[in-house]
Amino acid sequence: MADFLAIWLPSWLALTLAALVHVTLILTLALTAAAAFTWAERKVAGRIQDRLGPTRVGGRFGWLQAVADGLKLVSKEDIIPRNADPLLFRTAPYVSFCASFCVYLALPFANGWVAQPLDIAVFFVLAVAGLEVLGVILGGYASGSKWSLFGAMREAAQVVSYEVPLALCAVIPVMVAGTMDLVAIGNMQAGWAWNWLIFHNPFLFITFFIYFTCAVASVNRAPFDLPEAESELVAGFLTEYSGFRWSVFFMAEYASMFAVSMLAAILFLGGWNGPLPITVWLGLAPNPATGYEPHALLAYFGNFLGMVNILIKATLGVLLMMWARWTLPRLRIDQVMTMCLKYCIPLAAVMFVGTMIYLYAFPVGLIFRSGGG
Amino acid sequence: MGIVFHTVLFYLLAILACGFAVAVVLSNNIVRMAFYLVACLGAVAGLFFLAGADFVGALQLMIYVGGTLVLLIFGVMLTARGPLANIQTSRAQWAMVGLIGASLLAVLLYAATTAGKWTHSGQIVADRSHVSKPTATPIGLALLGVRADRLNAERTDAALGKGMAGYLLPFEIVSVHLVVVLIGAAYLARARRRATTPPMAATSGDSNNLDPGD
Amino acid sequence: MAVEGVDPEVAECDVRTDEILINMGPQHPSTHGVLRVVLRTDGEVVLEATPHIGYLHRCAEKIGENVSPRQWIPYTDRMDYLAGMNMNLGWSLCVEKLLKLEVPEKARHLRVIIVELNRIASHLVAAGTYGLDLGSFTPFMYAFREREKIYDLFELVCGARLTYSYITIGGAMADFPSGWLEKCEKFLNEFEPVVDELHALLTDNTIFIRRTAGIGVLPAEVAIDYGCTGPVLRGSGVAWDLRRDGDPWYTRMYEGYEFHVIAQTNGRYPVERPGHPVPKAAVLGDCWHRYYVRMLECVESMRLIRQGMEKYSRAKGGIGEPIKLMQKLPKGEVYLETEAPKGQMGFMIVSDGAAIPWRARARSSSFCNLSVLSELCRGCLIADVPAILGSLDIVLGEIDR
Repeated sequence: MADFLAIWLPSWLALTLAALVHVTLILTLALTAAAAFTWAERKVAGRIQDRLGPTRVGGRFGWLQAVADGLKLVSKEDIIPRNADPLLFRTAPYVSFCASFCVYLALPFANGWVAQPLDIAVFFVLAVAGLEVLGVILGGYASGSKWSLFGAMREAAQVVSYEVPLALCAVIPVMVAGTMDLVAIGNMQAGWAWNWLIFHNPFLFITFFIYFTCAVASVNRAPFDLPEAESELVAGFLTEYSGFRWSVFFMAEYASMFAVSMLAAILFLGGWNGPLPITVWLGLAPNPATGYEPHALLAYFGNFLGMVNILIKATLGVLLMMWARWTLPRLRIDQVMTMCLKYCIPLAAVMFVGTMIYLYAFPVGLIFRSGGG
Repeated sequence: MGIVFHTVLFYLLAILACGFAVAVVLSNNIVRMAFYLVACLGAVAGLFFLAGADFVGALQLMIYVGGTLVLLIFGVMLTARGPLANIQTSRAQWAMVGLIGASLLAVLLYAATTAGKWTHSGQIVADRSHVSKPTATPIGLALLGVRADRLNAERTDAALGKGMAGYLLPFEIVSVHLVVVLIGAAYLARARRRATTPPMAATSGDSNNLDPGD
Repeated sequence: MAVEGVDPEVAECDVRTDEILINMGPQHPSTHGVLRVVLRTDGEVVLEATPHIGYLHRCAEKIGENVSPRQWIPYTDRMDYLAGMNMNLGWSLCVEKLLKLEVPEKARHLRVIIVELNRIASHLVAAGTYGLDLGSFTPFMYAFREREKIYDLFELVCGARLTYSYITIGGAMADFPSGWLEKCEKFLNEFEPVVDELHALLTDNTIFIRRTAGIGVLPAEVAIDYGCTGPVLRGSGVAWDLRRDGDPWYTRMYEGYEFHVIAQTNGRYPVERPGHPVPKAAVLGDCWHRYYVRMLECVESMRLIRQGMEKYSRAKGGIGEPIKLMQKLPKGEVYLETEAPKGQMGFMIVSDGAAIPWRARARSSSFCNLSVLSELCRGCLIADVPAILGSLDIVLGEIDR
């Protein structure tokens, strides 16, 4: 985009404008996603619990509920406890939000539709996603409340532990793909659904479920929502937060839920490629068999379809998390750690070795063609 | 004109890094120090990204900002007395630290000003385009013993075999070292069970049991 | 810090951190009312849990010395406000015993139906909020949905949904309205599958079992020593139910009724769900058993209600007349315990011959059940405290009175 603008504008202005456009787009997506998921969460919870959820605000389905919630939160009194460290207390929510927002910088939405193409996108995403915990720890500690401190301690223990199996699970598709570039990984899975990495080999199939479990744990969703376990720790690290700052934490949570689901979609579920190669049939995507290259406008439309595709997949992931939240009881902290250290990490390691052996034994794939490039 | 943009960003991040580094030194509150250190290291990561070394930048974020500092704050939380521990620095400590810091700064300044390539402004190091370049591959290859940067220089097989050991040996040494450290830490931190444990099963949750029946 | 298993011996030798004194309550989501528990913890391991009560004290007993027995009935409603009918019944029976007043046959069956319905309502709250304590929100909604239906039934008979003052000395305030029995039957038919739903969401859920099985184990001797009663005692394997083993004045009410006392004796429950054995991890007397006893008691209560409805429709005569508001009491004293949903609720009346008792006393089951908390919480994790507290199923209105 910067190159495109640079035709008419001085390059510094072009760069700044391009960056602003990207940031605005991503920020809008993150905030819209958070708002939409707040509403969806209430609707899903309502349906699961045999009630209606929001019905009034904005007419049908209460679709403006998120806006009403937001207005309520913003207009609430801003409270900082006397024992709190005001600077850290104020900063912490933004640290969390920045971290979960920065993840989107490297997440592609379609072939080439990415704010900052990175060769090491997977690594970058994992590194930045892990930073969200910093805000939580700082917030919990700076609140000057013991419940918050407990929440922060749990968060630190849990998230730092779960990053290990999460990274291990993310490395396996990377190993199959031979690149950490998310755009390349996504493009590699074009075509029919069996080109998706989840169907590449049985080990990757299992890996997906380990990944998803660890992803749920690393974004603190039920049944792993221990840092804010409301029945034990009042509200954990959120105990002393209210109003706008609380909503920033809240948005960070939803943004990272969406981010890990999107990463799952790209790494395992074909990214922006649908189960059928429709875009190739319609001439909206390049066809490697015939060497066909679509016109820029058609490719743009194809990419748009791809974006819709990946957003649907990621939304399904988030809905799955909601379903789990409204069904399952919460684990205990030692059980959460046992789960990570005794089951997730060894299983992920076995899947890693298994995939390695599989790649070595069947370089072109056993049943379907190899996704390896 | 691209130079201006790049330079502005560079100065911005550099000032941030230095400012937060100074804040670390000047602050009395240990958790705030940790926070400033996070910001400082984050700014350094930004510098890495600016220089086109995205692998090192992400590494910096993951290991220093995400890993080490989280553990640092975690440790502080567990050990600090009172909710917000303060640290008082004595004058002698100030003097000592000042001396060490000044000498380190001198060494760094000397190195920075005498490094040949840096003194005359030539091409911009990071001329980033919108297509990602393989930055991690050469590092990975080098760790496995293939120096990608030397591949083009000497293409004969003999030369490939000879001076191309890369960083395989140091890499292996470091990984073995890390394993030793991990095992050692686990050994030190483990619960020392007494030989005779009183029957307190009444209050113990059995979380080892994977299958709770049914 | 993963403290696996919570053997205090291990915790003692493990990495020590500063002890933290932490207030759980009186404003805490899972203390079931205004209870304050002071926890002394080392990291997440609880070294000591001390309950502090009295935030809901309303001098009910003192009031009882200044009003006549019938006037005191509304105050009994507010003791265990989740089972107001059972409270009414306890006090009414106590005063009736003093007056040697027999209630008609029809009123007897009416009372059985009403108190067993309220037992189900109370156990539903216990099970629902227990799910909430363990982080599972949905069973709570399901349980409360059913409880609302019971409250609708109560509203039909007495106009109130929570504080009824319906069962009174000498019978009940009113007979069932026409069509009520059919509505009750409809509810029972609707409720039966919901019990299985709750079993699926909680009882048989692996996470639920791991959170409750083997946690807060209360051996039978300790339970007896502390005076625990009700499902807490039966959860420890003591088959003791006042409806069967109590004062004849009370057990007469259940004459001709068939029901099991739900307690695991000789390794099995009197009622078993086919295909769903007790999980292997569950130890007799742990949170899981206390919860399970309540769930099975709901089913037993349904059996009792069905029998009661049948007997009620066959019984002749009226439902009895309440005594006069200021009726003179004979001189003497009576203490009578009844099996309320939370345990043995005892009422005592001492009369010097006036219309107003010289002393009115209420013995709270929740009070004794709560006293065992510090015993159970020693060495557990913070997350286990709500699990244990919820399994004791206390209600603060009854403890503080």
